[in-house]
Amino acid sequence: MKHPLKIVLRGVTNDQVDPSVDVLKATALPLLKKFGIDGESLEIKINRRGMPPKGGGEILFTCPVRKVLQPVQFTDPGKIKRIRGTAYSVRVSPQMANRMVESARGILNKFLPDIYIYTDHMKGVSSGKSPGFGMCLTAETINGTILSAELASNPQGQGAAVLPEELGQNCAKLLLEEVYRGGCVDSTNQSLALLLMTLGQRDVSKVLLGPLSPYTIEFLRHLRSFFQIMFKIEAKTAEEEHAGGEKVLMTCVGIGFCNLSKTIR
Amino acid sequence: MEEKEKKKHRAKQSGPKAEKKRKRYLNDLGIGEEENARKRNPKAFTVQSAVRMARTFHRTQDLKTKKHHIPVVDRTPLEPPPVVVVVVGPPKVGKSTVIKCLIKNFTRQKLVEIRGPVTIVSGKKRRLTIIECGCDINTMIDLAKVADLVLMLIDASFGFEMETFEFLNICQVHGFPKIMGVLTHLDTFKNNKQLKKTKKKLKHRFWTEVYPGAKLFYLSGMVHGEYQKQEIHNLGRFISVMKFRPLTWQTSHPYILADRMEELTNPEDVRINPKCDRKISLYGYLRGAHLKNKSQIHMPGVGDFTVSDVSFLPDPCALPEQQKKRSLNEKEKLVYAPLSGVGGIVYDKDAVYIDLGGSHAHEKEEEEVRPNHELVQSLISTHSAIDVKMASSKVSLFMDSTPLGSEDVGQEFVMPKEERQVDLKTGRVRRKAVFEDDEKENDDVASDEEDDQEEGDEEEGDEEAVSEDGSDGDDENDAEEGSERVLLQEGMAVRRAKRLKTEMAQEEAVNELPAFADSDDDLEMSSEEEETAPEDSEMEEEEGDIQRTCEDESSGSESEAANKRADSKQYDMDSEHIETKPQISEHSPKRKAVFTTDSGNCTAEEASESEDENSSLEEGDDEGGSHEELEGGESNRNGFQQSQAKKADSVRQTKVKTVDTEDDDVENLLKEEEEYEEKIDLSADTTGALKWKEGLTQKAAEAFLRQQRSTPNLRKLVYGTAVEDEDQESEDAGDELGGLFRVSRPDKASRQKANALDCSKFVVEKLQDWDLEEVMSSIRDCFVTGKWEDDKDAAKLLEEDEELYGDFEDLETGVVHKGKAAAGGEKSGSEEEEDEDENMSKPEPEEEEKKKERMDKKRKLKEMFDAEYDEGDATYFDDLKEEMHKQAQLNRAEFEDQDDETRVQYEGFRPGMYVRIEIENVPCEFVLNFDPHYPIILGGLGNSEGNVGYVQLRLKKHRWYKKILKTRDPLILSLGWRRFQTIPLFYMEDHNGRHRLLKYTPQHMHCGAAFWGPITPQGTGFLAVQSVSGTTPDFRIAATGVVLDLDKSITIVKKLKLTGFPFKIFKNTCFIKGMFNSQLEVAKFEGAAIRSVSGIRGQIKKALRAPVGAFRATFEDKLLMSDIVFVRTWYPVSIPMFYNPVTSLLKPAGEKDSWSGMKTTGQLRYERGIKLKQNKDSLYKPIVREKRHFNKLHIPKALQKALPFKNKPKNLEKKGKTPKDQWRPAVIREPHEKKISALLSALSTVNNYKIKKAKTKHREQLKEYLKVKQKEDEKKFKRQKEAKKKVYRILGQREKKRQKSSLKGSSKGEKST
Repeated sequence: MKHPLKIVLRGVTNDQVDPSVDVLKATALPLLKKFGIDGESLEIKINRRGMPPKGGGEILFTCPVRKVLQPVQFTDPGKIKRIRGTAYSVRVSPQMANRMVESARGILNKFLPDIYIYTDHMKGVSSGKSPGFGMCLTAETINGTILSAELASNPQGQGAAVLPEELGQNCAKLLLEEVYRGGCVDSTNQSLALLLMTLGQRDVSKVLLGPLSPYTIEFLRHLRSFFQIMFKIEAKTAEEEHAGGEKVLMTCVGIGFCNLSKTIR
Repeated sequence: MEEKEKKKHRAKQSGPKAEKKRKRYLNDLGIGEEENARKRNPKAFTVQSAVRMARTFHRTQDLKTKKHHIPVVDRTPLEPPPVVVVVVGPPKVGKSTVIKCLIKNFTRQKLVEIRGPVTIVSGKKRRLTIIECGCDINTMIDLAKVADLVLMLIDASFGFEMETFEFLNICQVHGFPKIMGVLTHLDTFKNNKQLKKTKKKLKHRFWTEVYPGAKLFYLSGMVHGEYQKQEIHNLGRFISVMKFRPLTWQTSHPYILADRMEELTNPEDVRINPKCDRKISLYGYLRGAHLKNKSQIHMPGVGDFTVSDVSFLPDPCALPEQQKKRSLNEKEKLVYAPLSGVGGIVYDKDAVYIDLGGSHAHEKEEEEVRPNHELVQSLISTHSAIDVKMASSKVSLFMDSTPLGSEDVGQEFVMPKEERQVDLKTGRVRRKAVFEDDEKENDDVASDEEDDQEEGDEEEGDEEAVSEDGSDGDDENDAEEGSERVLLQEGMAVRRAKRLKTEMAQEEAVNELPAFADSDDDLEMSSEEEETAPEDSEMEEEEGDIQRTCEDESSGSESEAANKRADSKQYDMDSEHIETKPQISEHSPKRKAVFTTDSGNCTAEEASESEDENSSLEEGDDEGGSHEELEGGESNRNGFQQSQAKKADSVRQTKVKTVDTEDDDVENLLKEEEEYEEKIDLSADTTGALKWKEGLTQKAAEAFLRQQRSTPNLRKLVYGTAVEDEDQESEDAGDELGGLFRVSRPDKASRQKANALDCSKFVVEKLQDWDLEEVMSSIRDCFVTGKWEDDKDAAKLLEEDEELYGDFEDLETGVVHKGKAAAGGEKSGSEEEEDEDENMSKPEPEEEEKKKERMDKKRKLKEMFDAEYDEGDATYFDDLKEEMHKQAQLNRAEFEDQDDETRVQYEGFRPGMYVRIEIENVPCEFVLNFDPHYPIILGGLGNSEGNVGYVQLRLKKHRWYKKILKTRDPLILSLGWRRFQTIPLFYMEDHNGRHRLLKYTPQHMHCGAAFWGPITPQGTGFLAVQSVSGTTPDFRIAATGVVLDLDKSITIVKKLKLTGFPFKIFKNTCFIKGMFNSQLEVAKFEGAAIRSVSGIRGQIKKALRAPVGAFRATFEDKLLMSDIVFVRTWYPVSIPMFYNPVTSLLKPAGEKDSWSGMKTTGQLRYERGIKLKQNKDSLYKPIVREKRHFNKLHIPKALQKALPFKNKPKNLEKKGKTPKDQWRPAVIREPHEKKISALLSALSTVNNYKIKKAKTKHREQLKEYLKVKQKEDEKKFKRQKEAKKKVYRILGQREKKRQKSSLKGSSKGEKST
């Protein structure tokens, strides 16, 4: 790529299936920064939120261009120091968001006092075409690892109505589940981290992951067939007793991918 | 006793000791030598000027930073590949002699003929690959790219030749390796002075080219056709201690300088079509960077290829093992040069060849003379097989009878016919067995399994030939079998014996197995047998399982045609399942993946299952439904973490009831996989375990296995095993249709996956009950509020700090703070300590402990201080360097403990390995015209470097190249690994960023160039030559430069002037025609600036209707009808898409330097004798300038009147002859008057003469006087100067004395005080 990226994406921003824009903004961007794709212009801006089924959201994604990716040694996730999140609601009562926040805090407060969940109620043209609400929670560690969980309400006209309290609780539990899985990269972005490691310079990169998701496993196979690259996979048990499940240490040597199109000035 | 007067001690006045003493004395006085001038005169060394100081500081900083290179991660391997030494020079300079002498110097061996690279061990840690470089520019370019060290041979008796400079320039462009000059032919100088002069002259010229101080060696004279031993020895020493700088291109690309080539093409294909594309294998040390299988490579002189297979071989020229002693012994002085026929044992992938040296070669030659050899030759050269000939030949027994064909002859000749074949590689004669009836049945399959099995009992050589022929890719099973058999029977006696043993055991154990039915797969066989041995009781069950699974496989939707074919062969049951196993197991990972979409439960099952197998839970396998429940119980949310499965917390026990609700079919498949998985595990893992160690050892082995499996299992889960991978590849190859098209069938897994959801979210299938305290406590420590490790716990650290810093006194208030006596960990100790304080007298071990503790503390503090202090000094550069160093260490350490096989899979083949590379689809000319004298280089290409696109360069014509380069003339570039011909367009970038096309390169300036060619990273250097064929007397390198950009949307424009003529002129408005052809065109140019040739500017206004393309335009002045009007426009030029790799290695031997690509138009015109038709107007004609006449300047009368007199035209007419009436009357003197005037004139003449004389005299006198005066002045000045000098000297001395005395006084004063 020769020039910095600036894309406007339209459609559904938050749904129950895919990682939502909030999660990507909270987790994928810091991950990119660790690989050397940083700068002011790396940003996801949510102009409008679009919930299924009708969508109508709009995202502005800007990303700078880099020549090479840095190798990472990312083996110590550190301890979680704060929990942040977004509770959004569009075309429903703004009270919904507050109710979600309340219930989520109820669960998370048992672990950590530093919790702040933004309520994001969008109105008018920025609220998309369908009603809905949902929540995205992120847990940030002292080393900058960010784990995330999210949940969204059922789309309009599909399934039973969800209580915001219930959703908040479930989302908080999902976050705890994610914390249990652990690792330096949250489960949604495992494949992204591995891809960036693969495309890095010809140096050893290491990353500690939670259990590999099926998607990641398939992704690893694709990586091998495409780049002829294999990861050294080592299972690690947590040394401490109360630090969640087993982890996987992924090690690889990058293929030395280089953005040749970028003009050197 | 009288005191005799003894000789008094007299201090020494001279000598070193006295000197020293005096010095010390003076130093004590403070008036020592120069070194403490600073002390003596401190004022002289203070800051005089801040500006100047700043400037000097800046300058030193500049100089310091100039030396910095951008730090890069050092990726050189621990055991580096041999250093490539390229010996280069013009012909007849002594290149081969130097190489021979060097080899002899290092190895004590004398090579007769050197072809290709020669690798030798030169020291404990260094190997050299020496290669000679001819004068062909192709060779020079290629070798300059791979050289680490260049030995540049120069004929001193002749001086420098063009080749030397050309090579230097090539080197400069491609990264500049180390260059060492070697002067030869020094014995031709008779005159010693002449010799010295020449040496000096050559040295300085060499220095200007390379760098000042570059090493230049002198080889004086020859002794018995060799250089002098001592000199060569010195040269060798220099080479073996030389250090090398990493070159960017070389360190970032893998490359191989091939030292061996083998052809692997199926002889049958060659027989049918001698021009078919070949399959070759190349051998050599891998250099540069890591190489990955299936990566793209470029062979300079041949083309681009994809590596079809890479494998590493044992090092043929290994470094000595132990490094204890100083020098090498004779055994370790290895030499390896397969192209020259040197190098004892040659390792192949699956065979070891022992070269028997000269006698063997001799035998070969003899063989060719023998008549029976002719027969063999004729057999080889037949282009149709013997059966085809037989079929076509007809015999008529009687005159009238119909000729009998071969088909008429009865079928009784079933005995195999022998067909002799000579293996081209090894020269071995092989007897090929040909079954006539078989060949009739299927022409393309030379033999099938039956033959193989029958001949399995026969000689191995035969079998090899057959199996090689048989592996024609029709049946992949056959192919596998064949290759494996080759592997087996390639003289590996040990292995064979082992196999025999295992077969025996097999027969004992499983009596339904025939002896060699499974000979194709001894590895798996043995493993299976081992599997069966310890678990004899379960064997029946096992067999049953396998059978069932096989049936399932065939009946299931996924059974392939190939599978069925395998079934239909006359293998008995066991061999069948062995055959099918790899196929199935290779699908298993993918199928696994399908199921893993449901939160990885299935994968857990596999893992746990394979473990259960060892913990004798296996009986549950066949129990159907209960079995699944078990699985459910064992399965862990987190997939493959089997240790957790073992744990099976009470919490998770709640989920035991979660049974997968999948349909039966899926479950069935699932079970199969598990079994395959476990089988594979066993086959991989139990090979080491021995079956006869039962009982006691078995348990230990199992425990070991369990331990072992935990890590590879994960890997296996993701990647499967390596064996499967290969199988899959071979299967893929079988899908080729006629060698042209590939059937891209999506494999089963992906077919099933196609409709799956592509989402990276890892859905939690079943939430844990986070309200339970146990569950919550499982992640308690993930938060900062949880417990920390000892070294990071804040509370603990605080305590320690207290210890360190707690003890202080507040100076302002006078309050003394006391820190806690000891750390929290030693609470009990602290009490004791108090006791100790009371009775200090008795030393206790605790005292020592405390001491130690204190020391530790001190050390810690010191470290902290050091770290802080150094931090302040460290620059950004240092930090960066440190970071790179750390990365390099990590790179080295990460895979160090792994064996090569696994390492290769993780990081690719690392530089330093001796590798064998298989390449397919190589043009046959490469093999047919193979000449070992020309280097074969395999240059690895980075990602997207295999693509072709638009490349922009900065280019400068070489200052020694005589011609300038024309745009659109084909040019041969050497860029990256490649040499290729392309058509560049030259351009200049204007100030507004426009790329303006140039017709020719500028003479002494850089210009831009754009061409269509291979994508190469920015910053890569290149060089251009106009032709690579033959030798031209002039310098051959036409241009050099660097890649700037890879912009495919670059627009190069050229100037286009459209002209028109006015056909109607008003005042400042004109109608102009002839510029455009339609109104539309005019409309496009409305508002454009136009100009007349005479310089009148204007603008296009609007199109006219009347003549098509005419328009109205306005100008700043009135035009003339004779004026020409033009508009300046820019026309984009397209870059020709011409990219033609130089395929010089494909030329026949002896013509390799005669490659010629596209010719320039100039060349073609010259060759064909076509004269260019010239434009008449462009011809130069003599300039004829007409004499111009100008009219007189006419000033109107009124104006004349108004002008001031000064400016009024003064039309003074010439005076005509004065009329007679105006003539003055002549004066006629009286005689007396005449006399007077005559006298007066005479007197005045005399007077004049006198005055003149006096004047000259006076002048002379003055001159004299001045001369004298000057002399006097000089003398006076001198005197004065001397006087002044004297005075000043005296003054100075006085001053000095004064100063000295004052200093003395002060120092003395100090002493006294």
